[in-house]
Amino acid sequence: MHEITLQPMSVLADGGSHEGQLILADGQLVAVFSWVTPEETVGGLERAGGWFLEAGFGPCSGLHSTTPPVLETLDDAVTWVRGRLDNGLIPS
Amino acid sequence: MAFMTNPLILKLEKHDKLSEAEKRALENAIARIRVVEADEDLVREGDRPGESSLLLDGYAARYKIVSNGRRQISAIHVAGDFIDLHSFLLKTMDHGVLALTNCRIANVPHATLEKITEEFPHLTRLLWLSTLIDGAIHREWLTTMGRLSATAHMAHLICELYLRLKVIGRAEGDTIQLPITQAELGDTLGLSTVHVNRVLQELRKEGLIRFQGDALTILDWERLKTVGEFTPTYLSLQNEDR
Repeated sequence: MHEITLQPMSVLADGGSHEGQLILADGQLVAVFSWVTPEETVGGLERAGGWFLEAGFGPCSGLHSTTPPVLETLDDAVTWVRGRLDNGLIPS
Repeated sequence: MAFMTNPLILKLEKHDKLSEAEKRALENAIARIRVVEADEDLVREGDRPGESSLLLDGYAARYKIVSNGRRQISAIHVAGDFIDLHSFLLKTMDHGVLALTNCRIANVPHATLEKITEEFPHLTRLLWLSTLIDGAIHREWLTTMGRLSATAHMAHLICELYLRLKVIGRAEGDTIQLPITQAELGDTLGLSTVHVNRVLQELRKEGLIRFQGDALTILDWERLKTVGEFTPTYLSLQNEDR
């Protein structure tokens, strides 16, 4: 089981500053999530605001995964990261 | 069946002259007209249709579904496009076609198409040309998908749709109707909805486009073309002997 830690970090995403979280697995950066507003998610099929994968590394990178939908809570984001760490090349 | 200028004829006439007999053959080829509501399939993957669908009004998309229900839209079709002329010869559909908006469809039986290929060699070449242009658009999309930034990719798509609609007389000045959701644009460009929204905001902020409801106005065509690295050669819009 990987040790997951979170670290708040402001992210300069397109459209300006966003509240963000670095997600580290065993001390290494694997994902950056930012909080997006309902306007940015357009309501659409995704939920009204939530955590969006801005960048992923290793198993969370675009080489091995596709961008997940906007996630409701940080716990969901951590669950997604754990899924990626465990699944390797199998899409999730 | 009588109706106002068939948009396929308008489209083909951009590429070459059509004789009266050829126009009549196209108009008479239509066996029936049906209306398909938004989000319904016109054709499903695996189908073996006995007729091809010509889009008279509305927007349709070719698509494939991958795991987790994720969807890739590989082409957007506008009025005048012979959406699944392919099924005439491919027989089994390897992808589906979906109505993005309410669509008016003219159905042309494959038997009629076969007759056209036997009796109208020049018209047959023009129908062949239209599938070649579909192929050229696929090549362009593959290139823009793989090698342009998301912002440039979006700009390129807007330039292309604007020109294709203008050709069939469906642009009003610098404005087109684009009743396509941001989620559908995301499935087209391979982007998340969040990225689609940010990219559109960026193009708006830069003064290149304006959205008012479904109406998209191009405010600076030259810069939009530059940003999207758009050159319309692949649409073969010049009128010449084919």
